[in-house]
Amino acid sequence: MPRLLRHTLLILLPLVAALALAPALYGNHLLLFNVIVFLTLAQGINIIYGFTGYLPFGYVGFFGAGAYGFALAVMHLHALPLVALAAGGLAALLLGVLLTPLLRLSGAYFSIANLAAALAVLQIVSNPALESVTKGPYGISLSGVFDPALAYGVALAILAATTFLVIWLRHSRFGMALQAIREDAISAAMAGIDVVRGRVVAWLLAALVAGLTGSVYAWYISVFYPETVFGGEITIFAIVFALFGGTATILGPILGVVILYGIYNAIGISAPQYFQLIYGLLIMGLVLFLPNGLASLLRRRGIDVP
Amino acid sequence: MIRQTLLAALSSLALVAPAAAADAPAEIKLGTLYASAGRYASISMPVHDGLKLWLAQKNAEGGVFVKAFNKKIPLKLVAYDDQSNTGTAATLYNQLITQDKVDILVADSGSVLTSVAVPIARENKMLLIDQTGTGAAFFSPDNPYIALMADPVSTIWPKPLADFLTEDGPKLGIKKVAMIYSTNDFTGTQANTVRKLIKNSTSGVELVYDQGVPTETSNYTVLLNNIRAANPDAVVHLGYAPNDIAFLRNLADSGVRFKFLFCIYPGLETELLEKNVGAAGLNGVFTYVPSSEIAYRSEFGMNLEQFKAAWSKAYGDGKVEFGFNSVAGYTTGLVLEKALAQTESLDQLALRRAIFALSGRLKTIDGNFELDPQGAQIGEITPLGQFVAEGSGVRLVTVWPHDVATGKPIYPAP
Repeated sequence: MPRLLRHTLLILLPLVAALALAPALYGNHLLLFNVIVFLTLAQGINIIYGFTGYLPFGYVGFFGAGAYGFALAVMHLHALPLVALAAGGLAALLLGVLLTPLLRLSGAYFSIANLAAALAVLQIVSNPALESVTKGPYGISLSGVFDPALAYGVALAILAATTFLVIWLRHSRFGMALQAIREDAISAAMAGIDVVRGRVVAWLLAALVAGLTGSVYAWYISVFYPETVFGGEITIFAIVFALFGGTATILGPILGVVILYGIYNAIGISAPQYFQLIYGLLIMGLVLFLPNGLASLLRRRGIDVP
Repeated sequence: MIRQTLLAALSSLALVAPAAAADAPAEIKLGTLYASAGRYASISMPVHDGLKLWLAQKNAEGGVFVKAFNKKIPLKLVAYDDQSNTGTAATLYNQLITQDKVDILVADSGSVLTSVAVPIARENKMLLIDQTGTGAAFFSPDNPYIALMADPVSTIWPKPLADFLTEDGPKLGIKKVAMIYSTNDFTGTQANTVRKLIKNSTSGVELVYDQGVPTETSNYTVLLNNIRAANPDAVVHLGYAPNDIAFLRNLADSGVRFKFLFCIYPGLETELLEKNVGAAGLNGVFTYVPSSEIAYRSEFGMNLEQFKAAWSKAYGDGKVEFGFNSVAGYTTGLVLEKALAQTESLDQLALRRAIFALSGRLKTIDGNFELDPQGAQIGEITPLGQFVAEGSGVRLVTVWPHDVATGKPIYPAP
């Protein structure tokens, strides 16, 4: 059986089935929805960081752009949610195109420039002078399209598509080319790989994933402030979840979200005052002892991690 | 025949009465969040402690009377700490509804931490008891699951201030007004109202400086110079407590004096502001006169003096300051108490009907309780006051509207 099909059947289908059935078994639907959101964002980080080596500290900028793209389409064009969802994805794509020159930078310079870009978008969106367009800092209310059950289903579909994209990247020529670029861009170029095209496509795919996720998030929560959808912790969580499990793998980000987001919620409910301490220690332990994530533990023992 | 009918009626009563008693819950679960740390801790903790004070009083009396069961039922508080984080708050609101299965859902304080609860409550068909979240976006005709308890909606707040500037202002020599505000829902909405009322007035008063700044702003030095350059007769600063503290400290350090300066929080959280900027820093400052300063003729619950005494007894350690927000938390409890005494059941829409039935008919320590059809609070007013020196401290004097004024404004301020 081809590996693409095997991983689709063994990883993607059980994941989607579990999350589709979960609302019937567990009442805290927002928590389940957030699991889907972070699974998708962690896979988005996986696409850009795991496969190309660019670590986007401002990844939330695409998420926020998607949320506001959705909101503006609903408020000003009275678009149906699914059409507005496409508008959200398009807004993130446009932002991605606008920020493409950042790919000329690398390492920490790229990460910091990307973070600054996300903060700039936040300041533009929340500018009171744009109140008639974005509602400025005064918050968005999309109560007219409020439909959490449908939004949950659409979020699940976006997760499925994103996970399938990662499975494809893991096994396709294009994905291998991206990893070659990540390891040594000059050697990859010498081998005939179009480095610029590869990076730009991965960048825009990651932007689209975050944009669509932001759109469906805006649809689900329906009342939000700029800080809610441009919050820096969204990026931090997505990056930490992806790194914890192991990037450039299919399973890594999934393991990261299930374990770390599970711990986050357990601590957040039972002992929130210790949350930052416990989470900080976990991240320090990860960086010191497991820099390549849980996947590296298994690989050391000769186990192949898909 | 009559005897048979009577017997049948008695038999059915005998069957129904134990069933009704069995239906009464052993306790009423009241679920809420608070922020012990972070950006909103200073407004969240007083509200939470005010609510707890009410709850402790009721439980000491054997519980709260619930008309639906014709008996007093003890209250159980289920409270989680959201640490001022909206993501954590959203998960915890869901936890309260879906796992703890609370009977009454009470929001955390302030608009930001309330905002995430609005769609969650609606989705779960739970009435959101909104304590002080005044964001206009929360209230819509298609959402019956929200009611604002203790703060007027943001658009109501600055009307006395704007009315004073445009009506009494010109007589005092106020023609040019400078406004600086934090760009968030609470203060931005107030800035919009002030701008609109000044522009629509025919008083000749004009806005010569109108600047929004990020809520995180902590240094106003350059902005103060810009305001001074506009040579205003009055300065209006609209920000949260940390903004007011930074603004007043920078003002004191700069040596700049404005003839009229308005800030929101010196009136709302006087103890906190006095602790941080000193009595001299508040002398002459205009502010809102909150319910914690006005002795409203309370027709239900404690009056202001009794509440202050109870607060001091319960929280004498001074960790959480007494002020406007502590009254707000207590008022939430009073509205719930009155509603439970009238509700036909603990069904959420029945509770909503009971709360809306109180609109315009309940006077508490916080003033008039009145809701618009969407659940926004419109009964309470925020008169304009001015701090004047008294001994080594300051005293708040109400200066507008005239019918509630306790003194005349001092202009230019000392």
